Amino acid sequence: MTLRDFAIKYGFIALLVGLIVFFTLATDGFGSPQAAVFIFQSVAITGVLALGVTATLVVGGFDLSIGSVATTAMMAAAYAMVVLEQNALVAVAICLVIGVVVGLINGFLIVYMRVPDLLATLGMMFLLVGLQRIPTEGRSIATGMTMPDGSTAEGTFSAAFLALGRHRFDFFMPNLIPVSVVVLLVLAVLIWFFLEYTRFGRMMYAVGSNPKAAELAGAPVKAYKIWAYVISGVFASIGGILLAARLGRGDIASGNNLLLDSVAAALIGFAVLGAAKPNAFGTAIGALFVGVLLQGLTMMNAPYYTQDFVKGAVLVVALVFTFALSNRGRA
Amino acid sequence: MADPVFRIADLRKSFGPTQVLGGVSLELHAGEVTVLMGANGAGKSTLVRIVSGVYTRDGGTITLDGQDFAPASPAEAIRAGVVTVHQNINDGVVVALDVATNLTLDRLNGAGAKFLFNPRRVRRQAQEVAARMGLDVDLDAEISDLSLADRQMVAIARAMAHEPKVLILDEPTSSLSSAEANRLFAVVDRLRAHGVAILYISHRMSDIRRLADRIVSLRDGRITGMFETKPLDYEGAVNAMLGQNMHRAQIAARDGDGAVFSVENLSLAAHSRPFSMKLGDGEIVAVTGLVGVGKTAFAETLFGVRRPLGGAMSLRGKPYAPRSTADAIAAGVFLVAKDRAESGIVKDFNLYENMSLPFLDRLSRFGVARRRAERAVAREAIADLGIVCRSEKDDMATLSGGNQQKTMVARWMSQPASLFILDEPFQGVDIAARRDIADKLRASAAGRATLIFVTELDEALETADRILVMSEHTVVGEHRNEDVDIDRLLAEIAGQPMRGAA
Amino acid sequence: MNFTRRTLGRLAIGLAAASCLISAPALAQEKPAPFDKPGDVKIALVRYLSTGDFFQAYLSGVEAQAKALGVDLRVLDSRQDAALQADMVDQAIALGVQGIIIQHGLTESMKEAAQRAVDAGIKVVAFDVNVENEKIPQIEQSDRDLARLALEQAIKDNGESWKAGYVYVAGIAPLDRRDETWKEFKAKYSGINEAAMFGTLDNPIANSVANQARSVLTANPDIQVMFAPYDEFAKGVKIAVDEAGLSSDIKIYSADISTSDIAAMREPGSAWVATAATNPAVVGQVSVRALAQLLAGEDPGKQVIVPPTLITQKDLNDNDIKNMEELSAKMPQFAHADVAMPAWMPNPNAK
Repeated sequence: MTLRDFAIKYGFIALLVGLIVFFTLATDGFGSPQAAVFIFQSVAITGVLALGVTATLVVGGFDLSIGSVATTAMMAAAYAMVVLEQNALVAVAICLVIGVVVGLINGFLIVYMRVPDLLATLGMMFLLVGLQRIPTEGRSIATGMTMPDGSTAEGTFSAAFLALGRHRFDFFMPNLIPVSVVVLLVLAVLIWFFLEYTRFGRMMYAVGSNPKAAELAGAPVKAYKIWAYVISGVFASIGGILLAARLGRGDIASGNNLLLDSVAAALIGFAVLGAAKPNAFGTAIGALFVGVLLQGLTMMNAPYYTQDFVKGAVLVVALVFTFALSNRGRA
Repeated sequence: MADPVFRIADLRKSFGPTQVLGGVSLELHAGEVTVLMGANGAGKSTLVRIVSGVYTRDGGTITLDGQDFAPASPAEAIRAGVVTVHQNINDGVVVALDVATNLTLDRLNGAGAKFLFNPRRVRRQAQEVAARMGLDVDLDAEISDLSLADRQMVAIARAMAHEPKVLILDEPTSSLSSAEANRLFAVVDRLRAHGVAILYISHRMSDIRRLADRIVSLRDGRITGMFETKPLDYEGAVNAMLGQNMHRAQIAARDGDGAVFSVENLSLAAHSRPFSMKLGDGEIVAVTGLVGVGKTAFAETLFGVRRPLGGAMSLRGKPYAPRSTADAIAAGVFLVAKDRAESGIVKDFNLYENMSLPFLDRLSRFGVARRRAERAVAREAIADLGIVCRSEKDDMATLSGGNQQKTMVARWMSQPASLFILDEPFQGVDIAARRDIADKLRASAAGRATLIFVTELDEALETADRILVMSEHTVVGEHRNEDVDIDRLLAEIAGQPMRGAA
Repeated sequence: MNFTRRTLGRLAIGLAAASCLISAPALAQEKPAPFDKPGDVKIALVRYLSTGDFFQAYLSGVEAQAKALGVDLRVLDSRQDAALQADMVDQAIALGVQGIIIQHGLTESMKEAAQRAVDAGIKVVAFDVNVENEKIPQIEQSDRDLARLALEQAIKDNGESWKAGYVYVAGIAPLDRRDETWKEFKAKYSGINEAAMFGTLDNPIANSVANQARSVLTANPDIQVMFAPYDEFAKGVKIAVDEAGLSSDIKIYSADISTSDIAAMREPGSAWVATAATNPAVVGQVSVRALAQLLAGEDPGKQVIVPPTLITQKDLNDNDIKNMEELSAKMPQFAHADVAMPAWMPNPNAK
């Protein structure tokens, strides 16, 4: 293995370790279990979204609607509990249904209506940004809010739902690991296993790499594509549930930053272990990479715009790794 | 005979170690249509690209009106008076613009072109061009609203606006209906009458019978036949193009046992004659015919990619009507598709992942792929077919064309088939790999029916027990591969004289 | 068409006036022209920002005051399109309005449009955007006062010496003005030690700020006061403080308020102890009133400042306030500001 091969394969992991060592030395408190857990928590929501978008990248597609699916799910959860006074289970179910439905519509538009993926999901993004505002006429949802008809919403976020954002599991130390981190890890392992080890995952990669060959090998290409968007929609809605549980209210938001951060994580993932293709492990590392960088910089009092700059720089470097240096990368 | 307008002598071109043109000589005369025939890979496109200024030649001479002709760019070739209408019609027109702008597009570039775009001037010039060509197309229409034939007409008219001495038409009828083709022929007649020297590249026999003044056959980068005495010897031209110079491998033709697979009155295209056939157990049947006669359509119909327009199929005595490729595979009908790079290989997958692709469900337990089993299957195939590689984990890109094709064949041989179809399995494959694949097919033929679709006659004669000839989307001839009447075979490939010519 | 619309308008105004007469006879006093015939008065609200609770409430205030006056209000919403907002001013001129309220926007794009309106003889007021025009009064919620009230409370609660975390994003005009006050306080009280400054406007803002605040708290666990002069920032900081288990050690001071902010402040053990806020509905009312004064030939002043109110966790708990309506009802200083309030002006809250 040449130095270049080694750099392509382990460069990003080495960079991540280097960053962790640097921040541990440069700041107080970075190198603690709490800080580690917190970094995971800070990337939990974008990480879940990024894992979902990875599924669409695998089949050669793209999903721009994930950010707004997440915020729409958050609004739906808040609406279900605060306005309709439903329990946590119903709220979660509604969110997941939204994820499935949006995924099916995206898939339908792309596969059967032949709308290019970027355009279909861009349209869906705008649609959802508007849709989430309709029930409350643009207001954020919180207990005690005034409805458009003048009445007051009396429902509250149920304790069980809030626990999704606030409960912590004991892990060597009491109250260490938040639910969102557990959700992230479980979903990461699930999608990783699904994509790498099941025949369905393998066929999705085949569909993404050469749809005609996949079809001639008997794969129902259209169904796989639609499934990928459903996975993406469901993961985004799970992200939305975590977001609602953390904020404890329904916030009007486009979710564009969630979208950009998660897409960045998935693209950085291309460079991890020299994969040069979308992969769940890389996406998880990519999300973690962004988390470590941002939290470390914040602890060093770097202002927010330098963080965007650094995020962009990391993404560009990762893409160069993927497309220029790795011989498997094809532009 | 008058001196030729355009003369190519000993033209040579190589790409790396591969020689594509090995000394081609060709003459074009004013007011004559010279047809160039050649199978895929014979070197036709390379020849066209050199003449039209896309490639430069390695050796040989080209003269136009006695002057040396060596265009450095397509624009230079056009200015010198050699105009090419390429096979892909949309290369000849700009779809986003209207007809009038397309007809005058070349005047918008180059020296002397006005800076401002004057729609009235463009329209006036376009009208002149259209009138000269007898072009009957609305000048204000958008190209995207036109039929392929109309686009073709615009592309040719646009080419003729340069008043060329030499016009090269590269497979102009490949996407036209016969009525549309007749319009094209009328235009070609008109140009011939105007004294243009025309090089017409095609292997559609009906076109050739209709237009040719002379026929030149190209095979493996060399001229293998030149026919100019009337009546033209069409069979001889096909023979020269397909080649009969091979050393005949002796095949012990076998007869199939019973009917594994049969079709009744199958209809592949509108207006094509329905046909029937039977395939027996252990039999290898080759279907041959020129490009574009419906071989791939037939293969895809058998594999569930497209539906027949009429007729019925049955497999092992049961009705067979696949609605998808998955249906076909489940029924035991496998297809090694043609053009492996486009429709076979998943380039992100390594060798064993490519091999297990269609049968992953059979190699999985509870949906989880069993890699150990996949790799075992792949290792077995590597040994069996002699695939040259380091291991079953190799990237496909590191394999040679022949070994890639062996992988594609092995992919489908890893499970027992009832009907095994191979579409152009020897395309882009070296002679050794071709022998290996053919031997393997013959050795393993028992227990299934095997159908191979090949354009090259050699390949059919080398591999099959029986040969079917296709023409115009139907089967027109059948030969047992034992003392085949080559002349009759070639006549069938060359097709019947065109019916109802315009 | 015109005729019917005007007739309908008159009919509506007539009905409204009638209901005013019944419910609030005190308002039926003489009004100066043109408000003696308010149905003929047309005003336009040209908006730059419109989504979010603040802007919803602002609009409701504008509508309430316009209704109380009985004038015809047109709302033109450019949805953060600066060029469109300028076009909309011209559109309003074409509509024949007598008065325009410009709500937010960019100085560069609105300066000339505002001048054109003034040239057309239209009275203009501007809220939270400086159009650099002598003839146009500025309506402002005093951001400096907001910050001052919150910080005075912080000094009152924590003494003059504490370690602070500060949430700030430069380049946003109201935040910049609040930042000036923060700098003054730091200069005045040398005991205030700013250990960390952070902030982001990535949406959802609260979520992004929470992530940053967690890092800051990990690096500086001894912070006592968080000054987050924007309620979205405060919400994010509160989430981080809760997650870090530091709710009892840290106090959060902020600006602005909404129903969900009230709920967050009133959570048991909440670290969010006080906020200073101007009622956006009142700002909306004041905008219309200042414009009405101009139309009636009175001078509202160069700057019309709507004073903020300090709202503490204790106020909310003592009065059991759960939402904005109850806040207005139970804290009258929040529901109404005695600004641009000549005797003839109807009070929209007095129903």
